[in-house]
Amino acid sequence: MVPSTVQDPQAAYVLIVEDEALVRWVIADAFREAGFSVVEASNGDEALAYLEAGGFVDLVFSDIVMPGTISGEELAERIARDFPDVKVFLTSGNLKPKPRSGVEGFFPKPYDIDRVIAQIAASLGVKPR
Amino acid sequence: MSSKDTPLLLLVESDILVRHPLAQYLRECGFMVIEAANADEARQLLLESGRKIDVVLADAGHDQGSGFSLAAWIRSHFPNIDVSLAGTMTRAVERAGELCEDGPAGRRPYDHQLLLNQIKRLLAARERPRPGRNGPTRSGLRAVR
Repeated sequence: MVPSTVQDPQAAYVLIVEDEALVRWVIADAFREAGFSVVEASNGDEALAYLEAGGFVDLVFSDIVMPGTISGEELAERIARDFPDVKVFLTSGNLKPKPRSGVEGFFPKPYDIDRVIAQIAASLGVKPR
Repeated sequence: MSSKDTPLLLLVESDILVRHPLAQYLRECGFMVIEAANADEARQLLLESGRKIDVVLADAGHDQGSGFSLAAWIRSHFPNIDVSLAGTMTRAVERAGELCEDGPAGRRPYDHQLLLNQIKRLLAARERPRPGRNGPTRSGLRAVR
């Protein structure tokens, strides 16, 4: 049997939800360099719009505090309810979320992007480039 | 990080359902693409990314016409960056033509192939002298006339 960790990361779709454009770009670029397919959303509303329109993702990596009508935690709740197959990791410089269903992990800011990618890759069963 | 010789595009579009597939298409065409959801993000990325952006693609009508003000701001702050606006209204397209090097990319929804062709034309023309564009280049040198 082929180990799951040799799967091509390009087949794994990660939705980055971050309102700081520079941070979002750096994170998205790092994920793309690691071989992932990446979707970028500037807040929770955009992320939800993408998902509700049928956009496919395996995992959402979202900031918690963002402008717009829903926070990262509320986004995680909506995803757990409406898209239960999508995994969610949250990040924040201020808040550590209460443990809740649908949230697989939390990274306090500032974080080591390589460590984030390694943990998310492990969660998805893929091997980063 | 991709090759520094790969043309870098800044795509400014408020609708993720338009922005994402267009960005993906352009990446598949071989460009590097930075995504901005609005004009404020675009300005921040232009000022702080530290990267040499070649072309800005923006929706002329997004955020109540701020695509135009963004284009004017880029012309004054980064005269060597080409701007391409797409508009939904005839007037917007006409005004975009006044601001853009080769006129507007076209009306929305974007025609990906037309947009790609325009980007290629803009990049190919970058080496040519441009009337009224003798400001400092990114390297600090003035364009040779």
